[in-house]
Amino acid sequence: MRAIDHYAWTNRWRDWHPVEKGLPAISLLVLTLLLPPLTTAPLVLAGAMLTTVYGAGIPWKTLLSVLAAPLMFLLAGIPFLAVSVDFASGFDLTLSPEGLQLALVTAIRALAAMSCLAFLILTTPLTDGVLLLRRIGIPAGVIELILLIYRLIFVFSERALTGRQAQAARLGYSRLDRSVRSLGLLGGNLFQRALEQARRLEIGLMARGYTGELQVLPPQWKPSWARLMAGMMGVGLVGLASGWLARGLS
Amino acid sequence: MNEPLLAVRGLEYIYPGGVVALRGLDLSIERGQKLAILGPNGSGKTTLLLHLNGLCKPTRGEIQLDGQPVGYDHQALNHWRRRVGLILQEPNDQLFAATVRQDVSFGPLNLGLSSAEAGERVREALEALRVAHLAGRPTHTLSFGQKKRVAIAGVLAMRPEILVLDEPTAGLDSHGVTHLLGALQQLYEAGTTLVFSTHDVELAYAWADQVAVFYEGAVLRQGETALVLGDREVLRQSRLRPPLLLEIAEALGNGRNHLQSTPRSREGVLALLQERLAGNS
Repeated sequence: MRAIDHYAWTNRWRDWHPVEKGLPAISLLVLTLLLPPLTTAPLVLAGAMLTTVYGAGIPWKTLLSVLAAPLMFLLAGIPFLAVSVDFASGFDLTLSPEGLQLALVTAIRALAAMSCLAFLILTTPLTDGVLLLRRIGIPAGVIELILLIYRLIFVFSERALTGRQAQAARLGYSRLDRSVRSLGLLGGNLFQRALEQARRLEIGLMARGYTGELQVLPPQWKPSWARLMAGMMGVGLVGLASGWLARGLS
Repeated sequence: MNEPLLAVRGLEYIYPGGVVALRGLDLSIERGQKLAILGPNGSGKTTLLLHLNGLCKPTRGEIQLDGQPVGYDHQALNHWRRRVGLILQEPNDQLFAATVRQDVSFGPLNLGLSSAEAGERVREALEALRVAHLAGRPTHTLSFGQKKRVAIAGVLAMRPEILVLDEPTAGLDSHGVTHLLGALQQLYEAGTTLVFSTHDVELAYAWADQVAVFYEGAVLRQGETALVLGDREVLRQSRLRPPLLLEIAEALGNGRNHLQSTPRSREGVLALLQERLAGNS
């Protein structure tokens, strides 16, 4: 999470308008879901990953670790698609070609879709992404809440980390039973602190004239049509290539 | 004497639960002054500061702005907080937005300014605290000193007449302190009245025009820095040590009768020392 946030704020395309990154990424995602998967998904996967690494300058290692988490779920679930269980004649486990193809299609499609999202979250800070949400009409209250949570996650993860270190320094994690106890204490303490922090933040905001609305200046940059067009042309290229491949294969 | 800009009269505050934090306290804040509220930890300094822009309502006593008792209704509070800006000790209690620019824009937008005006205020405030280069940075990646300066900018952007700072130098290294005081000095020279709480006698001695010595919820003495900090009895009562620079100057024979002409900077005291050494040889 820290790594994702770090690259989102520092990658080469950090200053691009979120629409320039969001629209192509979402379009690519839609292509993956609409077009025949066996030809489209590998192209999308390759395209999204190469753009992330060579375009935005995200290290392979970070990209792969971001993709690894959902991959685990995929690996755990896929075998159940490949085999079919037949209860008619007792218990019969078979590996069918249809099942195998279904598993393959699902896996590659999911992976391709995830690579589009990985591109987006690694190149766009959450605060910029939220701007897109505002544009599609999510209420201001919800957006304020998202941004406040985003900010406080870092305040609390810092607290949690120093709290854990302080406990570890006093051997709070030296045995399993102690670890469980320490972790429970830490959790309880953080909860109390969260309440206290909320109260103090309210005082801090009231001192600056807070009256119930957290309004701040939106970022000022405008989308570059050239970059957006280039991105969408890339998406179109992937779509055409997929169609051409599909015709060639059939 | 001029009427104080902000005055505290007979202020008493009892926390819910019965803990008496402030007991009948008087304080005058005069226009264009740097006032240090000096006292040990737990003496009620922060509670007092929270009263100075209406975040706490006194149990007894009153606060006067330009000689008029202030009200606690919505409109009065807005007007009051526009004129008196408060900066908390812990910047994380104040910074809430994801980026520096957004956070600093919060106050100006609450004043009802347009986006363009607010943007201008943000730029100006960040420049005044010499953190303009951080404008696009996410708040959570700043260092403690940077957070502190951004928090001050967030209040400064509302252009208050009085800036109230709770322990502004706490947690900063000597470079950070120099940097911060430099920025505050510029604001002071531009006419902002500064009030800050501290337990650092040396800081108050070197930097404040006036000192109010605080102990157990009351002001023992308020007045010109050199006079108050030269008052051994008051310092003893409030369990503060006299400033080292003052003690050295006194040891060098710059006696108690010359308190107001005693140098208050390191450079001044060093010059005095060299002068005496040269005189002896």
